[in-house]
Amino acid sequence: MAETKQVIVKVKRQASPKDPARWEEFSLQWRPSMNVIICLRDIAENPVTRDGKKTTPISYDSNCLEEICGSCAMLINGKARMACSALVDQLEQPIRIEPLSKFPLVRDLTVDRQFMFESLKRVKAWIPIDGTYNLGEGPRISPEIQEKGYPLSNCISCGSCLEVCPQVNEHNQFVGAAIISQVRLFNMHPTGAMNKSERLKALMGPGGIQECANAQNCVHACPKNIPLTESIAEVNRDVWKQALLGWLTG
Amino acid sequence: MSFTASQPDTSYLLRKLHSFTGILPVGAFLAEHFWSNSSALVSPQRYNDVSQELQTIPFRLAVEWGAIFLPMLFHGGYGIWIWLRGKSNVSDYPWAGNWLYTLQRYTGLIAFAYIGWHLYTERWLTHGRSTYANVAEDMQNPWYLAFFVVGILASSFHLGAGIWNFLCKWGLAATVKAQQAAGRFGAVVGVTFSLVGILIVLSFRFDWHPFSAYLPNK
Repeated sequence: MAETKQVIVKVKRQASPKDPARWEEFSLQWRPSMNVIICLRDIAENPVTRDGKKTTPISYDSNCLEEICGSCAMLINGKARMACSALVDQLEQPIRIEPLSKFPLVRDLTVDRQFMFESLKRVKAWIPIDGTYNLGEGPRISPEIQEKGYPLSNCISCGSCLEVCPQVNEHNQFVGAAIISQVRLFNMHPTGAMNKSERLKALMGPGGIQECANAQNCVHACPKNIPLTESIAEVNRDVWKQALLGWLTG
Repeated sequence: MSFTASQPDTSYLLRKLHSFTGILPVGAFLAEHFWSNSSALVSPQRYNDVSQELQTIPFRLAVEWGAIFLPMLFHGGYGIWIWLRGKSNVSDYPWAGNWLYTLQRYTGLIAFAYIGWHLYTERWLTHGRSTYANVAEDMQNPWYLAFFVVGILASSFHLGAGIWNFLCKWGLAATVKAQQAAGRFGAVVGVTFSLVGILIVLSFRFDWHPFSAYLPNK
């Protein structure tokens, strides 16, 4: 009987941002350990809808298939999550698959997450180690800082935290939890801390950390279990000290 | 992105001011207000003495406008602006924090409307000289009574959840454990304020003064 078991998948399709969105339903052969990416790949192999109409393969982003590249975040049964770790056996059917709603749509399930990468540039989410001469060894990092930093470094920029945040929407350019958490990571690094105030200042502009309203959805949605609310609180403290006391203390 | 020092954005400063005014002076005033009105639980005379003392403080108008009315107007008005820029998604993601986010907006609006009405009836109409008798008379109207109860519950909830928000947003409760503790503290404040507020209402409604035994025997 296992051979005839079917998986019903509904995909929201849109040929381009200007075209109207429509739903297509597919019936796929069940396989053990099947995930949503396998469903999308099976559709690409045989792009025929449940009622027998020929269609095109679905456009989507994915790469590593092990929740490490961050590219396959999408809405699965209405929730933001990684398609590679969304197992069919654990999902209610028909499985509804939609693109993330907070980023500009490219086609079908492919969205443009450039906003996140621009925000990372805005807060200088890197450690400057290049110079015109040899800068020598950096300072040692205490095991305590290493332990705090490691979970933050797991961020895969998937955008799930932005997707679930009520404060990220078309009215508002809020950079979102992932970027704030990266500010914390690079500010706690002894070399990264050389740009600490620049990062903090970048977060007191439009769409900065003040837009966070503490709904705390980000920390629930994060596939990497990053302590995002802790990061936001810590960075918030650094930012208000910089913003409100900076003119007094320099 | 310039390398040189930039000033915080106006929206940053207004957000921080909004968060701060919720605690000081608005939250502090709610505490003072419940404390003073609790004197009704002792006796009508005690209530009238306390309210007359408050009605005769020096620089009264300046204090009322500067420390109570204007901060409340700003907190409420800017709060509505914040609400309009957010997009609640509690039906998709029904997590506790998300519920608080949504309820914080509705209770804020209810409290704002209630406080406006409350000021109009108990401050403006009586020219700032309300007595126990005025309030007790109003409480006989079931609609007044119901609006009082709703207003007290909304304000207390909003303050309790607001204290949690404040402690998280200013980084005073940063770790997960600290934020949980801040949440419990906020809950205690919310429940305590609700109970005290309802007791005060009952005191006026039923001429009930459970602490009258504190008074010296005449």
